[in-house]
Amino acid sequence: MINITSIDREEALRWLSCTDESSISETAAAYLDECEKRLLAEISPKYLYKYFPLDFDKGRPVIKDCVLPLEGNDIAAHLQGCTGVILMCGTVGSGADRLIRLMQVEDMAKAVITDAFAGAVCEQVMNTAEQMIAEELSGKYITWRYSPGYGDFPLDIQKQLLNVLDAPKKIGLCVSDSGMLTPVKSVTAVIGVSDSPLPQRLRGCAVCNMRERCRFRKRGLHCGF
Amino acid sequence: MDFKKLLTDNKFVFLDGAMGTMLQKSGLKTGEIPELLNITHPEVIENIHSMYIESGSDIVYANTFGANRFKLEGCGHSVSELIRAGISCAKRACEKSGREAYTALDIGPIGQLLEPTGSLSFEEAYDIFKEEILAAEEADLIVIETMTDLYEVKAALLAAKENSDKPVICTMTFEENGRTFTGCSCSAMALTLEGLGADAIGVNCSLGPRELMPVVQEICRWTTLPVAVKPNAGLPDPVTNLYDVSPEEFAEAAAGFSEMGVKIFGGCCGTSPEYIKALTTVLGEKEFIERDVNIPSAVCSYSNTSVIDQPRIIGERINPTGKKRFKEALKNGDINYILGQAIEQAQAGADILDVNVGLPDIDEKAMMVRTVKALQGVTDLPLQIDSTIPEVIEAALRVYNGKAIVNSVNGEEKSLETILPIVKKYGAAVVGLALDENGIPKSAEGRFAIAEKIMNRAIEMGIPKRDIFIDCLTLTASAEQEGAMETVNALERVKRELGLKTVLGVSNISFGLPNRELVNSNFLQICLSRGLDLPIINPNVPSMTGAVRAYKLLANIDKNASEFIAAYNNAAPSPVQAAQTGLNVSPEGLLYAVRNGLKQDGADITEKLLETTDPMTIVDEMLIPALDSTGADFESGKIFLPQLILSAGVAQAAFEVIKARISKDGDSVSKGKVVLATVKGDIHDIGKNIVKVLLENYGYEVIDLGRDVEYQAVADAAMPDDVKLVGLSALMTTTLKSMEETIALLRKVKPSVKIVVGGAVLTPEYAEKIGADFYARDAKATVDAAKQIYG
Repeated sequence: MINITSIDREEALRWLSCTDESSISETAAAYLDECEKRLLAEISPKYLYKYFPLDFDKGRPVIKDCVLPLEGNDIAAHLQGCTGVILMCGTVGSGADRLIRLMQVEDMAKAVITDAFAGAVCEQVMNTAEQMIAEELSGKYITWRYSPGYGDFPLDIQKQLLNVLDAPKKIGLCVSDSGMLTPVKSVTAVIGVSDSPLPQRLRGCAVCNMRERCRFRKRGLHCGF
Repeated sequence: MDFKKLLTDNKFVFLDGAMGTMLQKSGLKTGEIPELLNITHPEVIENIHSMYIESGSDIVYANTFGANRFKLEGCGHSVSELIRAGISCAKRACEKSGREAYTALDIGPIGQLLEPTGSLSFEEAYDIFKEEILAAEEADLIVIETMTDLYEVKAALLAAKENSDKPVICTMTFEENGRTFTGCSCSAMALTLEGLGADAIGVNCSLGPRELMPVVQEICRWTTLPVAVKPNAGLPDPVTNLYDVSPEEFAEAAAGFSEMGVKIFGGCCGTSPEYIKALTTVLGEKEFIERDVNIPSAVCSYSNTSVIDQPRIIGERINPTGKKRFKEALKNGDINYILGQAIEQAQAGADILDVNVGLPDIDEKAMMVRTVKALQGVTDLPLQIDSTIPEVIEAALRVYNGKAIVNSVNGEEKSLETILPIVKKYGAAVVGLALDENGIPKSAEGRFAIAEKIMNRAIEMGIPKRDIFIDCLTLTASAEQEGAMETVNALERVKRELGLKTVLGVSNISFGLPNRELVNSNFLQICLSRGLDLPIINPNVPSMTGAVRAYKLLANIDKNASEFIAAYNNAAPSPVQAAQTGLNVSPEGLLYAVRNGLKQDGADITEKLLETTDPMTIVDEMLIPALDSTGADFESGKIFLPQLILSAGVAQAAFEVIKARISKDGDSVSKGKVVLATVKGDIHDIGKNIVKVLLENYGYEVIDLGRDVEYQAVADAAMPDDVKLVGLSALMTTTLKSMEETIALLRKVKPSVKIVVGGAVLTPEYAEKIGADFYARDAKATVDAAKQIYG
């Protein structure tokens, strides 16, 4: 569904907390190339989305004709002023998990690099999907992607969210009992849709609930949120 | 008349069309549980069934697709209630119709991924399906559909076969590339499910009928069973979700399937009674064509089919016989060592891997199950299960995701009686050893006779000839020189006169001789030229793998020598192992190698240093400081994580050299034992594995319990006196609870043990709150904790 021919290396290196590409040794650089090539051969990126009209009930967002609850103050604030909502999910596919498993036996350094590359691909998949959705909705205004687990938007809606999208059947994306998406390199998200321009939503460390334990922030870096 | 008769009759069988699409039309909300309607609106469900029967369906699928305990959790009704209600709706529709129509229990995917990508175990999946099957005694047949994971289908099919005597149809969902989401191929599906005793197999959902043509064609090539096709009404529009193929077009395309010999027809998403009506009309004018298929000898994993139409290498290295290091790994449950052996052989050119984990003082069955599960997580090579114990073989075949080979049965009555039924039940192939209670016959005639006996018994049992492989047994040439050619002669006769595939462990021929490799590769050449199909060899020895490749080239099997050229012409050296000339044999040289990730150099320098330097001096004064300095660079952000691990890898290679030296002297290099586990519920264990590599390279002995580890398993592993440190990892906020529980249990059973915790979502405060002794922000910090405990 999405054709990805190269991986955003800068993003992957950020995941690996590498700020200076020139500091990478020759051996490690060769690893980066090898891992990118092998990962690209294993991925099968896919995404799904559905549009629903949105209502507000005493300030709480309610999706029309859909049983998925949108709980928490943060998602309510995020969707403020929206008349519709896009539920979406994307995955790199189980091939990436398989490759990372194999590499953990073959060579841990490759596994770490491939893990980061796969994270970067996942981001690319979601970005591409969002772009396509934005094109479909041309003329409308949309918020950025808000995922379960951000702020007080509960993680445990994953199962229902995937179910609404029919994701297990349509793209093989499931959730484990412990709330982990499988394949692991997958994302779910909610995007607000409006007919009129939306106020800029706050992003960044100040409003992030990972603030206190973020490994990027610890190093003076930023995850992109 | 029953459904089995329908299958054997010379006619088409018609299934129904979509249920979900019909329910949406009658106002089902997105995300609602459709099976609840079986109780709240049975008339709606019954009516849909009736419409399908009226339009020509012989079989209707009860509204039970998602009625499993995972999907129904919290809905207020039990699996059994909803399934019974669903089957009643369908039965009533069948009875009222006045036509001969049958009700199928419809089993869809659980909705959770199975191991190894997910955390649901094969055994749990079996249990979930068993619950569904036990609730459906009123159904006439069982349908397992819309599956994308062969492992899940296997769990469901086994549950069906072991808990009912109803016929079973299995259909999977494929993409246009001919594979499912999890990578399952058409041939692997067909070989595995026919072997397990499915009554019909095929494809449903996926795509429209036209796009499915190549998939169905491929399935038809690989099975003797009736084939079922239940496509979508074309492809859905991504926005409106409407399908693009009309009933007439649908039926026309389906008529194409009938030309391929497809017997069972229906519709999936987007179809309605009109589609079934159109199907029955168009196909009513056609004759069912009986397929005449000749399936080749083949074995498979879920994604890789090895067709034995030419010599295929069975790698022999996963076997503890005569291997000290391997035995040690088995005793310590060091699964990664075994996986490493698999990957090395796969890269060297093995087509199939023999798996033998038998050792007198271990639980072979448990180890075999663990090994098979772990192996299929990292390699797609088909496996050959090698054990003398029937229970071990059965346990392995049960959890194997594909069609395996059993090694072995022999001509002894007891062996034939116990092994062959297991082979038949799980649809495996089997190696028959040409020996019996009187030992190995000296002559080719004697071995041939036993081979024939094994063949006949297997065929009586229902095992097809293509799945019987005979091993004529290699004797040691130095002891019985005249025996070598007897083996070859027997092999040739088995192949020619019985028409069976042959298998042979080759390496034994040279036992006790000098230059064994030369003898082995020559014997292999002779055997290949006389008809050996499955040489069991060490693929890591280039002359052995090379002999097979050269034979395939010369015998005109490897067309245009493409495999041969790919193996030898393009053998570019790995960029990582760039040639390093002029070793710097000094502490500085070792430091340089460690810092720059030069594994081979590190090992070579260590080897040389050992000639003049005490092993522990190298460890304490060179390797550990080198690791410390890269660790410091990592902490200060000068190098990134992969480089730290690369350095650790070099140290590991150096340690291996030192260990080999020390074990010669009978000394030990372990600085202390550390138990590591990724906590229950958490399946992402890369962090834990990084910690493991670092700890090992600092000389600690790691007892790695893997991922998704039960609390009790951690406690058990921590009990021995010499375990002073336990490391726990959790990635998710949802699994921090498991970490807390694990710690609580550890505190109860062994208050003295220290606990270090780490993981992306942990904070030092939280670590303290749940009672950990150390918080590790990264892998290096865990090593620091170990240093504090053990020094």
